[in-house]
Amino acid sequence: MGNTYEGMFLLDNQVVRADWNRAKSAVTETLQKHGAKVLAARRWDERKLAYTIKGKTRGTYLLTYFELGGNGVNEMRRDFELDERVLRYLVVRADQVPAGELEKSAEESAAGFSVPPPPTEESQSYERLVFGDLADRPIQEPSRHQPESDEGADAPVEAEVPQAAAAEES
Amino acid sequence: MAEMRKPAAPLAGRNCDDPKIDYKEVAYLAKFVTNQAQVLSRKRTGFCSQCQRELKQAIKRARHLGLMPFVQ
Repeated sequence: MGNTYEGMFLLDNQVVRADWNRAKSAVTETLQKHGAKVLAARRWDERKLAYTIKGKTRGTYLLTYFELGGNGVNEMRRDFELDERVLRYLVVRADQVPAGELEKSAEESAAGFSVPPPPTEESQSYERLVFGDLADRPIQEPSRHQPESDEGADAPVEAEVPQAAAAEES
Repeated sequence: MAEMRKPAAPLAGRNCDDPKIDYKEVAYLAKFVTNQAQVLSRKRTGFCSQCQRELKQAIKRARHLGLMPFVQ
């Protein structure tokens, strides 16, 4: 048969939250329609997007591997362009299916699989990867004045400074 | 005489025979872009031309999928 391809699909989270398996089969059925043999398909990750795509700030990635004759790819692209559930997709040639992918895919297809809950913290977002914990920190105006409630605690510190200065002078 | 600038230490740390740079490894790719998410030059990355090309391709793919920003 044809070549092996790796396809990554960014799916609309609204569709994914409603029913993951249906969202997945929407993609795999389109692939099969164009004569692809789907080798593996699994949920890769849900992430915050680096920029908004079609008004969405989050999305779920579906990673697939499939065999398809070269002519089928362009026709398949047209379908994904029209599909509103697929925000973005990327199809690249793969020499073979990477080790472990088939197992992960089978694990997901097994009966007991439940979709992991949406992540509460953005452990994998781009900002998080680049800035680490700094990404979490709310942006604050640097304030020179301490909050008023802390005045009592501050008073001794302020009092010490002039004394120290006076000690150095004398 | 103009001062010669000392070349920056290469960031690459990678053999050219290693498997191709993958667009899914965003944490790795993020090391090779500036704060504004531009791809670093070969002078800065220390990659050979083939590896730099792979890097460029991988970053562009990651950007397309919304894994990495075009600008920040």
